[in-house]
Amino acid sequence: MAITVKVMERPLGEVSYVRATLKGLALTLKHLVDPHRVTIQYPEEKWDLSPRWRGTHRMLTTEDGSAKCVACGLCPTVCPANCIKLVPGEDEAGNRYPLVFEIDEFRCIFCGYCQEVCPEEAIHMGRHYENAEFNRARFVYDLERLTAQTHPVSELWDPAHPRGE
Amino acid sequence: MMKDEGGKMVNLTIEGRAVSVPEGTTILEAAKTAGVLVPHYCYHPGLPVAGVCRMCLVEVEKAPKLAPSCATTVGEGQVVHVYSEKALEARKGVLELLLINHPLDCPLCDPAGECELQDYTFQEGRADSRYHEPKRFNPVEDFGGDVLYVTNRCILCTRCVRFMEDVHEDAVLCVSERGDRATIGKAPDADLTQPWAANVIDLCPVGALVSKDFLNKARAWELDRTASVCTGCSQGCNNVLETRDNVVVRMKPRSNEDVNHFYLCDAGRLDYRWMNRPDRAEVPKIRLHDVLSPVDWDIAIQEVGGRMKGKRAYVVASPRLSNEALFLLKRIVKQTGGEGVFRCATGPEAPLPGVKDLSLRADRAPNVRGAELLGFKRNDADPLAGLKDGDVLVLADESLGGLDLSAAKKASAIIVIGTTLVDGITPAVVLPIANVAEEEGTFTNLRGRVQRFLQAKTAPGLARPSWYALADLATALGVPSDDMHLPSTIFTALAKSEPAFTGLSYDTIGLRGGLVAGATAGAH
Repeated sequence: MAITVKVMERPLGEVSYVRATLKGLALTLKHLVDPHRVTIQYPEEKWDLSPRWRGTHRMLTTEDGSAKCVACGLCPTVCPANCIKLVPGEDEAGNRYPLVFEIDEFRCIFCGYCQEVCPEEAIHMGRHYENAEFNRARFVYDLERLTAQTHPVSELWDPAHPRGE
Repeated sequence: MMKDEGGKMVNLTIEGRAVSVPEGTTILEAAKTAGVLVPHYCYHPGLPVAGVCRMCLVEVEKAPKLAPSCATTVGEGQVVHVYSEKALEARKGVLELLLINHPLDCPLCDPAGECELQDYTFQEGRADSRYHEPKRFNPVEDFGGDVLYVTNRCILCTRCVRFMEDVHEDAVLCVSERGDRATIGKAPDADLTQPWAANVIDLCPVGALVSKDFLNKARAWELDRTASVCTGCSQGCNNVLETRDNVVVRMKPRSNEDVNHFYLCDAGRLDYRWMNRPDRAEVPKIRLHDVLSPVDWDIAIQEVGGRMKGKRAYVVASPRLSNEALFLLKRIVKQTGGEGVFRCATGPEAPLPGVKDLSLRADRAPNVRGAELLGFKRNDADPLAGLKDGDVLVLADESLGGLDLSAAKKASAIIVIGTTLVDGITPAVVLPIANVAEEEGTFTNLRGRVQRFLQAKTAPGLARPSWYALADLATALGVPSDDMHLPSTIFTALAKSEPAFTGLSYDTIGLRGGLVAGATAGAH
C-alpha cells in the first residue's frame, strides 16, 4: 500500500535560498566597508591583559638583588598541584633563604595560591603569556630564572580597595 | 595517673562534664581528664607551678574573679567554665599583650607549625593588633650547646629557667631585667652544655629557644613522626623519630612516666645521623672465586645454611639488635650447639638530678638487658675469646671496631649480618639488614621494661628487617620456626619459650612498655 505523504504548501518567500544568500552577502559587504576587527596582528600587536591575569611566576627581589623569599615553606604547602620544590638553607649571616626553589610550570595550575599565601610578597604570578620553549626541561623554573623575569606581576586584589591591604 | 591512692576524691564540673579527681589536683589537670585542654604556657606537668603567663585563666562559678587553673586546686562541687565569654575575653587580652613585643616572624621561625603561641592565637586571639609603636628589639644570643636564644620571640614563661633550676639542678638561667625589658639571662661563665640541657628547646612553648642542629632544616608540618625508643643507652628513653623524605631529621622525647618522663638527653637526641648513612650494605652477597658477588636472598640464605652445616655457630651479637632478632640468634646458636656473646660500648653516666632513676647510662646500647636475658654472654674486652677452630663466626650487626681481629682467622667462615660491611675481615656471606629506624621490634631496658619501637623509614636496596632475615636463616638451619615472619609472632614465640618474658605480647606492651618477670615497676 502506498504511503500518502502530506506536502505542506509554503510561501515561496520563506523557502527560497535567494533571500538568505543576499542577507549573508550584505553582512560581508558591511564588514568590508566598516571593519570590525577581532583578530590581533600577533606578534606585532599584543593582547591587553587583565590586572588579575595569572601567568608564569616571578620572584621579586630586595634592593640588593637577592630573592625576597625566606623559605618559610608556605607555598609548597598550599600548592594544590604540588609543583613547588623548596629546600631551605642558611646563609653566612645566619638568615634563612631558599637553597633550591623550583616551580614546575607544567604542573602548575595557575591558581595563584602561592602569591596569596606568601608572607614576604616574594612569589608572584606574572601578567605574561609567552612561555614557549624548545625543550620540556626549561619549564622547570629555578630561582635564578624566577628572579630574572621582568614582566609585570598579577594583582590578585585591588590595592586601592580599603580591604586590599 | 589519676589513681586514687587512698586520698579523698573531689567531684566537680568542668565545661558541663562531671569529673572526679584526687584532692589537691589542679583545675588544669582535672580538665585534662575531662578531655578539655586549657590553653597554657608557663605550666608544664614536669615543672613546678609558676603561674606567670595568665593564659590558663578560667571562670569558676561563685569565685570573685577568674582563676589561673594551673595554680588553683579543685574544690568539691566547683563549676568551671573554660570557654565562657569572660574567660575567653581575659585570655584574648593576655594573648594581645604577649604579642605586643613578639616579632611575628613566623615565616622565618623554626617552631612555626608546632608553636603554642601560634595555636592559641589562632584559636582564641585577636585577628589584628592595636599596637602601632615600635617593638622591642634584642639580638639573638647563643646559649652554648645546641641552644640558640631568640630574645624577641620569648614570652617569659620561665619553663627553661625552672627546668634548669629544679630538674637539672644547675641554675644557669634566670629572668634578668624587669618589666618590658625582661629577658632570659644566662650566667656569664656558664653554657647550656649540661648533658640534659637541650630539653629546654622542647619545653619552650614558642620559638625563643631553638635547636642549632635543626635550625632551618625542615618545617614542622612536613615531618612524619614515628614512636620509637632511643638507642643511645640502656635507659631506653621513649622518643619520636621525625623524618622528611625518608631521612631522619630530628629526634624528640616522647613522654613516658615510667622511663623518661618528658626528657631526652643531648647525646641521645643528637645521635640520629647514623640512621641516614648512605654507605649501607644493600644487597646480599656471597664469596665466589674470592670476590663478593651480589646474589638473591634465597641463594645467600642457602649458602649460609651450607656453611653452617655440622659446625658450631659463634655469634657475636650487637646489643643494639631487637629482642626478636636476638631470640632468633639464640635459636640458631642452640641448634648448632654454639655460643652467643655480645659486647657493649660504655661511657660516663650522666643523671638528670631532678628525675628519679633517669640517666644517660654507662652501657651505650639499648638492649643489654635483653641480650643478657636471652643468654648472651657479655665480654667487652675480647668477644672473640671463645671462638674455636672451625667455628662459623656470625657477626650480627657487630663491627668489632677497635679489636684485634687475628682471632677471627680461626673461623671456618665469617657471616656478616649487618647494616654495613665490616672493615678488616673477609666475610663468606653478607646479609644486609635494616637499622632500628627501618624496622619494628622491642628493646628491654636496664630495668627490664620491654618497649616497642616502630618503623620510621624504608630500608635501602634489598636490606630486610633483622628478624625477617634471621627467621629465614633459622628455617634453613632446621630450627622449627613456623609462623615467624612477623615481629609480633616472633615475640609471641619468645614469650612462650623464655620464662623472663612470660605473659608479654605486643598487645599488652603497647607503647608504654611492659615489665619482664622479676622487674618491679617501682624501680622507675
